[in-house]
Amino acid sequence: MSAPENHEAVQRPGRLLTLFDRFVNRASRHNVTISLVVVLCVAAIVGMFVMRDLQTANTEAETLYLVSVQGLRRIGELQFDTQETRRATLYALTTNDSNLQVEYADQSREADQRVTQGIAEYRQQAKRPRQIELADRLQRDWANYLPLRDEVLALILEGSTSEAVHLDLSGGVPSFERVRQDLNEVKRLYDEEASQRVSNVEATSHRSAVRLIGILGFAFLLSSAAVWAIQRSRMLSAIQLAKMQMEFVASVSHELRTPLAVLSSAADNITDGLVASKAEIQRYGKVIQNQSRQMKGLVDEILLFASTEDRKDRYLLQRLEASQIIEAVLASTRELIQEAGFTVEPRIEPDLPPVLGDLSAIGQCLQNLIGNAVKYSGQSKWIGLRAYTAPAEHGIEPEVRIAVSDKGIGIERSEFESIFDPFYRSPRVSSMQIHGTGLGLALARRIAETLGGKITVVSELSVGSTFTLHLPITEGERVAMPRTSSQARPSAST
Amino acid sequence: MGRLASLATILLAVTGLLLAGRPQGTPPSGTPTGSQQTTPLTEPLAIVVNRSNPVDGLSLAELRRVFLGERSHWSNDRRITIVMREPGEAERKVMLRDVYRMDEGALKNHFLRGLYTGEILMSPKILASAVGVRKFVFYSPGAIGYLRLSDVDSSVKVIRIDELSPEDKKYKLRVEARPAN
Repeated sequence: MSAPENHEAVQRPGRLLTLFDRFVNRASRHNVTISLVVVLCVAAIVGMFVMRDLQTANTEAETLYLVSVQGLRRIGELQFDTQETRRATLYALTTNDSNLQVEYADQSREADQRVTQGIAEYRQQAKRPRQIELADRLQRDWANYLPLRDEVLALILEGSTSEAVHLDLSGGVPSFERVRQDLNEVKRLYDEEASQRVSNVEATSHRSAVRLIGILGFAFLLSSAAVWAIQRSRMLSAIQLAKMQMEFVASVSHELRTPLAVLSSAADNITDGLVASKAEIQRYGKVIQNQSRQMKGLVDEILLFASTEDRKDRYLLQRLEASQIIEAVLASTRELIQEAGFTVEPRIEPDLPPVLGDLSAIGQCLQNLIGNAVKYSGQSKWIGLRAYTAPAEHGIEPEVRIAVSDKGIGIERSEFESIFDPFYRSPRVSSMQIHGTGLGLALARRIAETLGGKITVVSELSVGSTFTLHLPITEGERVAMPRTSSQARPSAST
Repeated sequence: MGRLASLATILLAVTGLLLAGRPQGTPPSGTPTGSQQTTPLTEPLAIVVNRSNPVDGLSLAELRRVFLGERSHWSNDRRITIVMREPGEAERKVMLRDVYRMDEGALKNHFLRGLYTGEILMSPKILASAVGVRKFVFYSPGAIGYLRLSDVDSSVKVIRIDELSPEDKKYKLRVEARPAN
């Protein structure tokens, strides 16, 4: 195998693992529900199999009892009655009392009637050829024995004892022996059937046990795989979080070191007397002021993010005009925009309804979006700021949307969700040496969601991005809002 | 003693003959007669044989021969077995009077003598009840016995005597009816 092929072979499991991790990552967001559904499904399937096998075993056992056990009992009764027929006949030989002889004859006859009836029932229930043949033979042999028995009884009653004994020995005994053998064969047939049924029950039981073990094993493996996947997902998340935090620390350090280096250098120059003129001192002061403000802003952003960690509502909600918000944001970002040499193109729809929110928080949110636009716009130096209303549609309440657009580097579609994660930094922007803490969008989203709104993004690589802040309209104004879909504008989505 | 016993036997035989010769329904001596006399109710006494027996009727004389053991086999060569009730039973008394025409002692002597001489092959079988008689006749193809007509069922065959069936008014063998409960 050549080196590239070998490399590819090594890479393939890695790719599979990556795909699996992606799947697990997506699945782990709903891990509790999925686990419950999987466990319930497995339990239901196991239960169904077990119930079915139990019913099968129960049916087999019932059949075994009905067919084999009752059959054997019936044959046992037949054997007893045939013996009783003969025994009563022989008892008649033991007495000269005609009354007793008649009584024994009666007993013999009653027994033979039960036998005849039992054989007829067996013949009626016989289904297999062997059973039918045996039943016919038994019926025939019994029918042959009865006249001999009657003649023996008649001879006994008439007092011809020696003739009766002779006839019984010469004809009765062999004839009765044939009946006895027939019954033994019937019993053997029932024994064979019972053995077959027992084998069936055992086979069903064995099959049930194997299935149960298999299903439980499968369920165990599935559960183990699910637990392993969830644990792995959590571990990966923890590793990713730790990595992002390390990157954050590095990034924050870098963001702090740059102004600190400028401040230190300015301080050194002033201390060394290199700055003599008033104009230079003023210039240095300005630099120190800017750098300090930048540091303060960074620290404020971190502190603000930390303070919103618990997502508790600390904002003062009030009725705000959209124009008021736009003005405040433009004022707070004017210096940044001017220094960066950007042009802002505001498009404010007239007669925008008021929204419910905290001016400072909304301002912070939009500042972050504008700051990102400045950071990632590249050479275009253009920012669009648009405020408009969106009527109610598809179950969404009417809202005011403020969109911040740029014509910058854009965002990959696969990163649409990740960019809102705290400390997330796209590998692409990191490689482009664009610095940041990875907190701006996370903070903006938290603020928007805390105020009852949301942030969506539409972006295309090398074309630009549009981040839209959705703000709910105050309760009183909703009634006045038109709900026609004709006025709907294409909304951004994440 | 021997003479006295013979005299007693003769007396009994004479008495039996006298009794046998008395018309049916005649009350025994010492019973009231005339307007106070009541005719006791009677019912036919059927002579029964096994259903497989080819015989359908006998004359009274032939019946007497059969019951006396003077005829030992049926026409199908089956040996005849006589079935009787125990001494003292009304049916037996009728047979002694109308068929045997002798008393118990004479009957006993007859069979003892016959068995001793070999003229009779077997003494009569004694059954305690009508049901016993009926069953015996049913089980034994060569048996012949007697039953009140009310005790007869389909398990046995009733034969005609002197061409008369028990239902005929002129049928001679009649036994005193059982007292109503």
